[in-house]
Amino acid sequence: MIPYLVYFVQFHEDFRIQELEALAKLENVKIKFNREDYSNENPFFIVELESDEDAKRLIRRSILIKHIIQLWTSGNDYPEVYKNLKSFDPEKYKPYETSTFKFMVETYNGTRTMKEQVDIINTFSFLPFTGSIDLKKPDNTFMVLEKYPAPTEPPCKIYMGKLVGSGDRQLVAKYDLKKRKYLGTTSMDAELSLIMSNMALVRQNSLVLDPFVGTGSFLITCSHYGAFTLGSDIDGRQIRGKGKTSIATNIEQYNMKKKVLGTIVSDMAHHPWRNNGELFDAIVTDPPYGVRAGAKKIGLNTDKYDAPPPTKRDAMNPRYPLTVPYEMEQVLIDLIEFASKYLVVGGRLVYWLPTNSEEYNKNDIPQHPSLKLIANSEQSFGKWSRRLITMEKVKKYEDIRLTGEGNTGHYQFRQFYFYGKDGEQKQENNKKEQPKDELESEKVKKSKHE
Amino acid sequence: MRLITHNMLQCHVKGCTKDNFPLKLEEIEIEELEAEFNADFIKSMLNRLDWKALAQTTFSLGIAQLPEEMPEELSDEMLEQLHHILLEIDITSGRMVCQGCNHVYPIRNGIPNMLLTESEV
Repeated sequence: MIPYLVYFVQFHEDFRIQELEALAKLENVKIKFNREDYSNENPFFIVELESDEDAKRLIRRSILIKHIIQLWTSGNDYPEVYKNLKSFDPEKYKPYETSTFKFMVETYNGTRTMKEQVDIINTFSFLPFTGSIDLKKPDNTFMVLEKYPAPTEPPCKIYMGKLVGSGDRQLVAKYDLKKRKYLGTTSMDAELSLIMSNMALVRQNSLVLDPFVGTGSFLITCSHYGAFTLGSDIDGRQIRGKGKTSIATNIEQYNMKKKVLGTIVSDMAHHPWRNNGELFDAIVTDPPYGVRAGAKKIGLNTDKYDAPPPTKRDAMNPRYPLTVPYEMEQVLIDLIEFASKYLVVGGRLVYWLPTNSEEYNKNDIPQHPSLKLIANSEQSFGKWSRRLITMEKVKKYEDIRLTGEGNTGHYQFRQFYFYGKDGEQKQENNKKEQPKDELESEKVKKSKHE
Repeated sequence: MRLITHNMLQCHVKGCTKDNFPLKLEEIEIEELEAEFNADFIKSMLNRLDWKALAQTTFSLGIAQLPEEMPEELSDEMLEQLHHILLEIDITSGRMVCQGCNHVYPIRNGIPNMLLTESEV
């Protein structure tokens, strides 16, 4: 196998290696790496692959990888790098000798001026490349990557190799919420939605369900990757939207009517999916845990509420059943149980779980005998976090009722978030603690109204 | 609502377990859509479909007469026909009625409302 250097972006660090692993599975690429070498503080990661084609395929859908480089050499300083390059068998350079090329310098935790970059590139002139330099469309791009211990110190590690492939971060701008016509307060930002589609192994012809569809962010990103998508939500107003915009507007905006199959109004606690089949390849969702959008389900206990007596209603009359708060614990149990039943074997459930950072313990992640925990990535907001949980169905459904016992990290999470640990009600939520996507969508909403 | 979705929905009123699938479509309006034909997708859906229900529904709507049992080998024409039935027929309004308990699920703007009232869950 051949060594390659993966060059990650410096965002969502806790999601990077998980995305890489998901992509290797999705693209069926043989990969070897030492997980202990990975660190959230280091954007460079060495993996072994069988070919440039595999490397290119591996990261073509990546949101969190900038580039992949066929690693020629590395060293703690430049003389070491030059020495290694000079020691190679001249045959290695033969394929590149007459082709056009360019060099690029990338730095991490330090900077180089344009002039410094050119000077570095010139020190590689000993390489036997006789082809002309082409900055726009070179046959080959060679990269020098520097890692600095601190911006004021010299680089402590230098990598050199041939650029083989790049990720697909342009999609983040393409599906940017700011450009989306229909938004809600909980619309998931494009970057995380795309990462979730990768984690869920969503591909051409997958059938994907979002059972808490909201404004439909996941329908858009999953269908981008060729999946046929379905959404459901208890809140029909979210689906139908306000005035002229709705989920349908977004589907039209991105020209996905051929792939988004539609939405239904239904309650996750009492859902109508046919109960004798494994229907979905993936379930990708952000359940409403009550932090930003309180979860609701249809009420059972009618004497607690001022309920109208049940009458035989005219079918076409709007139906507004009573709803009661849907405890987070129960949302989770229903979701996991649903996934264990309705996913095909090999299918994935990808969902968000908010946790109280102080009390979190990894045993808080609900388990199911049919579902294997694949990844658990944290996005921290200080006192609380949300975790992206990826589970894969490994065997057919077994009817085991889940118990929520001992799941304290998310248990009564809503209470903690709103009331603080000592029960004091917070006057207002600290803006810093709010997820970025919410703030962004709020801004967008504001600007739309202006 | 496409017919593929209809094929996956059942009546879920508490205690309704007999004849709760498929839901009978009544007074419906249909719009024909164009969806990308993809034989692989249709093939991957075959073992997830309830064929009998699909045959019954398409027959009662006068859309197609499918064999009662799923054929072992599906010709290309059959796959294309299934593609049309499952993905290109969009029910924009009407209702779905449970043949077991007569519960009515309305469909408006192409969105079926599968919510129950508090006494039915």
